[in-house]
Amino acid sequence: MALWITYEMTFYYVILLRLFTNARLLLRCAAMTETDCCVLDEEDFRRCCRLLLQRSEQLRDGWSWEVVQGSDEGYLRKTALRSVPDPQTSTCSSRPKQSKEEPDCASSLVPDSGRGELDEEDDGSCIVSEGSSVVLQYEYHILYSSSYSTPVLYFRAFTLEGRSLTLEEVWSFVHPNFRLCLQNSPLNALSQQEHPLLGQPFFYLHPCRTEEFMKLVLTAAEDKHRPMNYVLLWLSLVGPAVGLDVPLEYCIEPQPSDPE
Amino acid sequence: MADDKDVLRDVWFGRIPTCFTLNPDEATEREAEPYYLLLPRVSYLPLVTDKVKKHFLKVMKAEDVEMWFEYEGTPLKWHYPVGVLFDLHASNTVLPWSITVHFKSFPDQDLLHCPSNSVVEAHFMSSIKEADALKHKSQVINDMQKKDHKQLWMGLQNDKFDQFWAMNRKLMEYSTEEGGFRYIPFRIYQTSSDRPFIQKLFRPVSPEGSAHTLGDLLNEMYPDKKRYQVLIHGIEPLLETPLQWLSEHLSHPDNFLHICVVPAPTD
Repeated sequence: MALWITYEMTFYYVILLRLFTNARLLLRCAAMTETDCCVLDEEDFRRCCRLLLQRSEQLRDGWSWEVVQGSDEGYLRKTALRSVPDPQTSTCSSRPKQSKEEPDCASSLVPDSGRGELDEEDDGSCIVSEGSSVVLQYEYHILYSSSYSTPVLYFRAFTLEGRSLTLEEVWSFVHPNFRLCLQNSPLNALSQQEHPLLGQPFFYLHPCRTEEFMKLVLTAAEDKHRPMNYVLLWLSLVGPAVGLDVPLEYCIEPQPSDPE
Repeated sequence: MADDKDVLRDVWFGRIPTCFTLNPDEATEREAEPYYLLLPRVSYLPLVTDKVKKHFLKVMKAEDVEMWFEYEGTPLKWHYPVGVLFDLHASNTVLPWSITVHFKSFPDQDLLHCPSNSVVEAHFMSSIKEADALKHKSQVINDMQKKDHKQLWMGLQNDKFDQFWAMNRKLMEYSTEEGGFRYIPFRIYQTSSDRPFIQKLFRPVSPEGSAHTLGDLLNEMYPDKKRYQVLIHGIEPLLETPLQWLSEHLSHPDNFLHICVVPAPTD
């Protein structure tokens, strides 16, 4: 039990840090929808997605709603190009590597999925020196998990030549601030998973802890009587870890003079 | 309930006779003999095919690369239990099940990578966690200690029925006034569908208090009836069987009821 508490505390600490940095976002979030605090049913999910979509269209942020053939289920989808430091040209200094067959920087920062023992990992500290950057294509899907009553983020990433990134590479592009949080979270929070609607391999952020940290944020919001868009709020917390930023403009009430 | 406990054992010890053949397009130093193995229905391909890998790597020039399996052109999803793969793809074919082994051209648009058993463990525990989220709002699984979780995994990995069920029985409990789990963890697979599976919220007991049956579940998920065969662990349970009972006795070790809907065999 003690080990679980440590994991949780680390996780919450980083989430709370992010909350403080997002304070402006929270305070300026206009009323978008009322949600029964912490529990998101499928109808709420769709409503939140519709609102997010409307705002995305106004901001030209690129989200679309995809419907599954032959059913009424769907998901939010967005593709984006993302520039990351090229692992080949950036140099790092970090703790001596554990495994001798992985000479390049990117994989030395990765939890060794071969052993799966997180407690033997390096502390993730690295000094990245200037190198060129490489552009990757990311595709993000937001689905609803009826098992956990939360949104879930699925994504995949490709080089511009169309090669799929491996879990190790994706992990290496997670910002160091988030790595500690994701690494110590139970069940290896970032992993490969079959897309439940499309059947293809995607990466995903495990949803089992979502309700807990959303509860923290939503009760705080309720205290201030600020209704929140659950999906938007959740996305602003988990998205940045995997390169998906949520512009502040999402939370600002569109002025009557805003162009359609 | 001596009979019910027997069912648990029968489910655990189910086996599928399988013949592994190397993909003929893969270069070998000498002829690759097929390899025969009895596969546990409730386990996962990477856990039970070490010997297959060793056997074929002996005749190949390749270094240690990721092995993957295919049946009649379809890559086999290792994260599905073995028995589900068989029921879904080969249930009405002649035994042994003929699987083709590959070491090259890993189909990364179809299959998840599995570099080690810890990936299988993560998937397995993830399913158990999700099942408990449905059954008990995660209360039982969260009350367990890390060593209890490990015991579930080790029980599966080492084929230890007693070790596994000593812990798993807690995940099968429910309070008598509830009449059953909160929701039944299930997945329905059908090869004719584009979707990999159907998974929805479904209660074991109706609002009026009557027990939902397998038939009720299928009516809800497939309102337009067709001629199909419904397989769980290779058998066709009666549609009148209560779903709660099925969930307690015919779930896989991951605590999900994996149900395969296949076209009825033409006689």
